[in-house]
Amino acid sequence: MIDLDTELPAIAAGDADAFARFVAGAETRVRESLASFAVAIDVEAIVQECLLRVWQVAPRVEPDGRSNSLLRFTIRVARNLAVSETRRRRSDSDLTTKLEHQLADDASEPAVPDPLLREVIARCREQLPEKPAQALAARLDGPWRADTEIAATLGMRANTFLQNFGRARRLLAQCLGKHGIDVAKELA
Amino acid sequence: MTDQEKDALIEATAGAHREVAPDGTIRWAPAWWDLDDDGRAKAAALATQLRKLEAAMDPDGLSTTARLVLARIRAG
Repeated sequence: MIDLDTELPAIAAGDADAFARFVAGAETRVRESLASFAVAIDVEAIVQECLLRVWQVAPRVEPDGRSNSLLRFTIRVARNLAVSETRRRRSDSDLTTKLEHQLADDASEPAVPDPLLREVIARCREQLPEKPAQALAARLDGPWRADTEIAATLGMRANTFLQNFGRARRLLAQCLGKHGIDVAKELA
Repeated sequence: MTDQEKDALIEATAGAHREVAPDGTIRWAPAWWDLDDDGRAKAAALATQLRKLEAAMDPDGLSTTARLVLARIRAG
């Protein structure tokens, strides 16, 4: 099993590359830990907020003797942020109480990269029609730009850009399926 | 709201781009506010799968979320 705590000393010393390696292994687990909050919070915003906070407090995080203590700490930060935002913004107290009592997954393990998947995705991307391929590439190349800005760069209206992006991911999912890679139904 | 309009809101919410407020906090996606519970759940599930694919495509295993966060960290 991968132990992301090997990155902790470097992260604590301010090494952003080490934090990048930690995030590569941790993000999926952090995001999945917030799945039950999805109707009450913008999960994407909370994940980003959480990762920024963890970077700030990492020098004070002490390993607890078990592997992946920083990952478990990060999941706790994410869930605390989610509970706090749910309380602040939601009038549905039953939902808030239910979410508060759900325990964080204490046995979280990092995600492991799959080199085969990378190869197949690259082949599938080559088969995309021009406009969907452009939309996909543009979002991947410039996530710091708003969709409206990306759309303007591509000479598309925002809705057309989103439709092309949606088409790209559906075609990608179909292609991956043909290669025996079962991507989740959410992409299709 | 038509299905097409809802799909566009889901697609927009599932993207990683978020504005940063002057106090440094991450603003929620404008499209998220216009979605019903079903749309919000679908957007979050879609984002999870997209981030996995993005990470798989990236040589360093980083999703667009990760690259955004790291760009903000490196910018100080």
